[in-house]
Amino acid sequence: MFTTKSFIKKNKIGNYLKHVREHYIRDDIFCGFSCCETCSLVESSLTEEYVNKCSLFKFNHYLILDTNIILEQMDVLEEPIIGNCIILHTVLKEVKHRSLPIYKRLMSIVDNPSRHFYIFTNDHHKDTFMPQKDGELINDYNDRLIRKACSWYMDHLPNKKFVLLTDDRANKNLAKEDEIPAVTTTEYVKHLDEQVALGDKLKKKDSEVQKDAKSIFPPHLSTSAMLIGIKEGKLYQGTFRASRDNFLEGFVNVEGFEDNVLVQGRKGLNRAVDGDVVAVQMFDKTEWVSPSEIVLEDEGVSEENIKDIQKNENELKKNAKNSKKDEIRPTGCVVGIIRRKWRQYCGILQGNSDGLYQIFVPADSSIPKIRIETRQAEFLRSQKFIVTIDSWPQHSRYPHGHFVRALGKIGQQSTENEVVLLEHDVPHSQFSEEVLSCLPKLPWLITDDDVKKRVDLRGIDICSVDPPGCTDIDDALHCRPIEGDRLEVGVHIADVSHFIRPGTALDLEAASRATTVYLINKRIDMVPELLSSNLCSLRGGEERFAFSCIWEMDKEANIINTRFHKSIIKSKKAMTYEEAQITIDDKSKNDSIAQSLRNLNMLAKILKKGRLQKGALVLASPEVKIRMDSETMEPLDVEIKKMFETNSMVEEFMLLANISVAQKILEDFPDCAMLRRHPTPPSTNFDPLVKAGKHLGFDMKIDSGKNLAQSLDDATCETNPYLNTMLRILATRCMLQAVYFPSGAMQKDEYFHYGLAVPLYTHFTSPIRRYADIIVHRLLAVTCGADSTYPNLLNKQKTVELCQNLNYRNRMAQYAGRASVAFNTHLFFKGKVQDEEGYVLYVRKNALQILIPKYGLECNLFLATKGETSNIFEYDEDNQTQKAGNLIIHSFDRVVVRMSLDSKNIQHEKFTLQLVEPFIEGFSVQPLGQTEMEVDTNEAKTDKKRKSTSEKGNNKRKS
Amino acid sequence: MSKKIHIRLANHRVNSSVAVYSRVPKIFTPGEIITPQNEFMRGHGTYEEDGNLKSSVAGVREQVNNLISIRPLKSRYNGEVGDVVVGRITEVQQKRWKIDTNSRLDSVLLLSSVNLPGGELRRRSVEDEHMMRQYLQEGDLISAEVQSVYSDGSLSLHTRSLKYGKLGQGVLLKVFPSLVKRSKTHFHNLPVGASVILGNNGFIWICPTIVNSEDSVGGFIQNLEEVIPRQQRETIARLRNCILSLTQSKMLVFDTSILYAYEESLKYEICELLQPEAMVDVALLTQQRLCMLEE
Amino acid sequence: MSRNKELLSKIGLRLDGRRANELRRIRCKLGVFTEPDGSAYIEQGLTKVLAAVYGPHQVRGQRSKAQHDGALVNCQFSMAVFSTGERKRRPRGDRKSTELSMHLQQALLAAIKTELYPWSQIDVYVEVLHADGGIYPACVNAATLALIDAGIPLKEYVCACTASLANNDVPMLDISHQEEAIGGPTLTVAALPMSGKIVLMEMSQRFHLDHLPKVLEKALQGCKDVKNILDEAVRLHVQDVGSSTGWVIKN
Repeated sequence: MFTTKSFIKKNKIGNYLKHVREHYIRDDIFCGFSCCETCSLVESSLTEEYVNKCSLFKFNHYLILDTNIILEQMDVLEEPIIGNCIILHTVLKEVKHRSLPIYKRLMSIVDNPSRHFYIFTNDHHKDTFMPQKDGELINDYNDRLIRKACSWYMDHLPNKKFVLLTDDRANKNLAKEDEIPAVTTTEYVKHLDEQVALGDKLKKKDSEVQKDAKSIFPPHLSTSAMLIGIKEGKLYQGTFRASRDNFLEGFVNVEGFEDNVLVQGRKGLNRAVDGDVVAVQMFDKTEWVSPSEIVLEDEGVSEENIKDIQKNENELKKNAKNSKKDEIRPTGCVVGIIRRKWRQYCGILQGNSDGLYQIFVPADSSIPKIRIETRQAEFLRSQKFIVTIDSWPQHSRYPHGHFVRALGKIGQQSTENEVVLLEHDVPHSQFSEEVLSCLPKLPWLITDDDVKKRVDLRGIDICSVDPPGCTDIDDALHCRPIEGDRLEVGVHIADVSHFIRPGTALDLEAASRATTVYLINKRIDMVPELLSSNLCSLRGGEERFAFSCIWEMDKEANIINTRFHKSIIKSKKAMTYEEAQITIDDKSKNDSIAQSLRNLNMLAKILKKGRLQKGALVLASPEVKIRMDSETMEPLDVEIKKMFETNSMVEEFMLLANISVAQKILEDFPDCAMLRRHPTPPSTNFDPLVKAGKHLGFDMKIDSGKNLAQSLDDATCETNPYLNTMLRILATRCMLQAVYFPSGAMQKDEYFHYGLAVPLYTHFTSPIRRYADIIVHRLLAVTCGADSTYPNLLNKQKTVELCQNLNYRNRMAQYAGRASVAFNTHLFFKGKVQDEEGYVLYVRKNALQILIPKYGLECNLFLATKGETSNIFEYDEDNQTQKAGNLIIHSFDRVVVRMSLDSKNIQHEKFTLQLVEPFIEGFSVQPLGQTEMEVDTNEAKTDKKRKSTSEKGNNKRKS
Repeated sequence: MSKKIHIRLANHRVNSSVAVYSRVPKIFTPGEIITPQNEFMRGHGTYEEDGNLKSSVAGVREQVNNLISIRPLKSRYNGEVGDVVVGRITEVQQKRWKIDTNSRLDSVLLLSSVNLPGGELRRRSVEDEHMMRQYLQEGDLISAEVQSVYSDGSLSLHTRSLKYGKLGQGVLLKVFPSLVKRSKTHFHNLPVGASVILGNNGFIWICPTIVNSEDSVGGFIQNLEEVIPRQQRETIARLRNCILSLTQSKMLVFDTSILYAYEESLKYEICELLQPEAMVDVALLTQQRLCMLEE
Repeated sequence: MSRNKELLSKIGLRLDGRRANELRRIRCKLGVFTEPDGSAYIEQGLTKVLAAVYGPHQVRGQRSKAQHDGALVNCQFSMAVFSTGERKRRPRGDRKSTELSMHLQQALLAAIKTELYPWSQIDVYVEVLHADGGIYPACVNAATLALIDAGIPLKEYVCACTASLANNDVPMLDISHQEEAIGGPTLTVAALPMSGKIVLMEMSQRFHLDHLPKVLEKALQGCKDVKNILDEAVRLHVQDVGSSTGWVIKN
């Protein structure tokens, strides 16, 4: 059978077009019941063995779900207590249209056979399809289709019972008229066994709250009003970004605007949550203000009381009046939300109040507190848990949400790791059976066939150099003299692509994880451990498959020729950086390994010099290492990582290999080579650096990478040896993120890698922990004839999508790593008070941002209590100084501060800093004295966003 | 002048089929195997491939002794010697005219195959060649007979009979050649007061009754001054519409079918005959009468 | 938005409710005009095409084009200005139309027994009334029907069909406009289905060679299916017309 659907849609230009689509109606669609004799049998997981235990119905029944249930009560549906559900195709389509994340969650339930969900294609079934009536709203039409399907099922299988689950009152009533049993989720869940925890997960409807509540927020515009406003140019659409420091401030990134639009205050933000797409209205230019530099925290406790907000708002206003002309930003207010980007948030309960309603404090400080309804507050108080937002009504100070699941006890390592992973969207579940089945069977043996296909390098003295305790060794090196006074240098990379074949479950899983994530005491592998720590790891003394990149070089490190091939190697020794350094320095050792290491070191120095001359940047970021107690898993010490010459040696050769490979694959795949670029930062990014340089009397040239490198080298100060490092840290923060991209997606001149100052770069050297490298391996394998291509490898669109995921995961992995360091640093400092040397990084209006190099920490030293201006310090904004009497504090000044950990807020433990040196009367503390003022800090992770982009082939090694 | 124009949706179209399903012969379609070729000869509409005789058109099988051919129900006119055709001059060349006769190549009328005005019988001189355009020029309609068929398939015509020659006042109607029934004569003086020339090539000429065949045709005279009375013109128009009705329903055109159709059409106004319902009605009634005739 | 749409759902149905190996509904009619020698109308789903054939006839216009060894086949493709969602500027003569005309000619030349008609010309005009994906196949199929209607000898039917790849794995037949828009490579094949000869093959974008065999096989199967449908229509038409004329056998 055949019918057409027609509908009218607006196209891009704004014309209205009529679309006509075919719609085929079939008679071969299976109802999903194996007992049915009329329908042709297809696989279905509906089963009689499963029984829905709801006391509302005395009999076993099958649930038919309405769209609103799936959209709003997903958390309940994910509970295994509900089963035997029929999802109608009409519903599925609408869910997909309305929310892709919910759709994905739904599909994962459907795919799980133990949940007994079945999709019934009602809109193509000859008996359940009905054409849309003239003038019928799409929602009514869908509801009608759902009811039709219910009636059909009841007629089709008279000995089965069906229940329609809907929260739509109209639909429920109409269903009742058709004699279809229908209940709401609330009713249904109440009568389920084990309903306590489930009740918390129910989404609460606004209608439950009294209507006469006073509005705290201005109303939102309707969608159509917003669209009209945007079209007429009165409103602007943009993504809302909440400020982390000030809960009453945020920015809206409007496309096409150079500056972000500033929004301030309760009315200005108007219930926008970080990430939402909003419509903003611009204020008159005379009302534009500059961003406040104060730090404000939401201290509200109850839902109705908004006095403290008002107080904070006043402070903000006061501040705004004094705003400087040159820092004025376009200012506006949010008038409506175009699309919510709510996700699930980790956090804890606030306070100790009893009652059904509790306030939830998210771990992410850019997210507002959330009101939840729970009957298990006692239990949750000790837990970190996940909450999702349901709605944010006008009369409520906080958004309303519901509990999703608990993560574990507050303060426990495992809980915190879980939080870090969840907050950064790191996939960290166990590898599935399907993935594990792709692994090679043990014992793994090298066959003659393998040997035939590979170059046998087992006789060559190859060694690997890694950080201590490294188990995923993905690179090894060798160097030997050959005829003509030349050297043969080889970089051997673990041949991961031999084990991970394209298209397998293992491959898909690795592509989705994209990278191995290193937390302080945990490693979330990209590939199962058998590969990462055994078969692929180039361990000393074992025969392993490798992908080799071999150069012939002369003694001046000029490359004479390059070749790539797959090989079999046997690493003579797996060394640590320290061991390698000792071997090089120990003149008494003269075996082949020591010699090759010395040669490598010599070449690396030449290579590095050449690279720096070309304008490669040497950047710095305070990286620390935390020593853990191996038994208690508690941090013993925090220290800056030690660097050896050998670190740089390995790095140089990895860079060289990456560059060589990049050239090779681009040559053969001009359209789809996976490369890595580092965009040149816009000059405005350098403003803080140039400003800081000017105060110190250095002229920072930022017009090119080379000049910048030169300027940084020149900026040294006798009296302050740490100054240069500080400038480099600042420079690091000016950089943009380096990203993967397929060569076809960019213009040639955009391939440039700014930080390394090379025209082409890629990642080749760490396939065990980066998926990009696996792709590069596959490409390279094709170019040297060792492997064949497969469709997605050459598909530009697919590669672009893949790159997007890789870039996203990499960024998240970095943030997660840093968050983990921060947490462990806190753990280490618990109960300790120490005086430490630090440097002023930035001077702010009410605080000094201090870098403590020993721990790689960045903290705020507050000069005044909140909401007040200090009577000791005078802030000079032009020169970025704070003056107290005769003493002037500049950026980069050395200070001594007392550090302690403020654990009042268990979720956001903070460092409290007190000034020890220079001594300022009435403010500083004696080295052993008492404090008068509470000072607090923010931990280093506030600077997540600005991150080192220094590219190293092997920069993320971890113990 | 206002006209009624009917535009119908496809759904509301009248099915013009008046088919009588009596005995349906086997139908062959292109590419279909007719017979494993061994003793048969390939005729029109067939070809040989992989040892099989295959059909190249959609139609029915005809067999003369060993010669098998497939005749499509519709095609361009394939002339045969002796056929009467109506054609239009497309070109005047040296010593010959080119004539569109609805066959796949233009036909040829040699200067030597026409009767000269005045009926003189002599060798054609250079003067005659110069006069050719005055006899027949581009666009003129003629009736003629197929004299011979050239090797490339084009036809050579002649008008060496007083029946043939230039056509004067009348109406030309084009129908598919396969719908014109072959008969002894293709010139009919219909009793309803008009003459028709049923060209084998599908061109049908309807004109006022030829009173004296001797002096009206056979030459190059065209009397356009003579006023044809209205009644006669109406008869011609009705005949035209009747033939259209027949062809619309894929019925054969010959004197009897035209006459029957004419008679059946009398209950309609002439202009009503352009409506599909009326056309089918006429065709259907004609079909019935023809069937009765056969019985 | 279209990025989110999948061509083939988990249940194995396409967006319009077809399965992967199903053609759209085909309806066709021969002899729709009386003026041309042959004509046909075809609907493949919502794609609607009219075709008219004139000839074989004397070569008009440029005489020099006439060939001594066979007929000249002249194709003209045009799309009605109202055939697409947005009104087209010009119905023919743009680059796409010219290209399609040439492809059409290529496909038809493979089937027409041109050698029977030296010095002649065959004109094929196709007009798209509604474009909803698979324009070219519909044009080829319509032209074939019109040629048969005109009684022009063909080696066999020439049919065309499109195929694509859903979810990078499952080959899919007869691609609609909606599916074309969502993406995925579309393979257009014109073939002589009885002998299995491919006369034209075109790909909308690059796709990996590994997929080609199965997609091609699917497309060829589609051509065969189309041929069966057309054949049935031709037989019905011949039967209908033949019965009206009374099956007169030529003397």
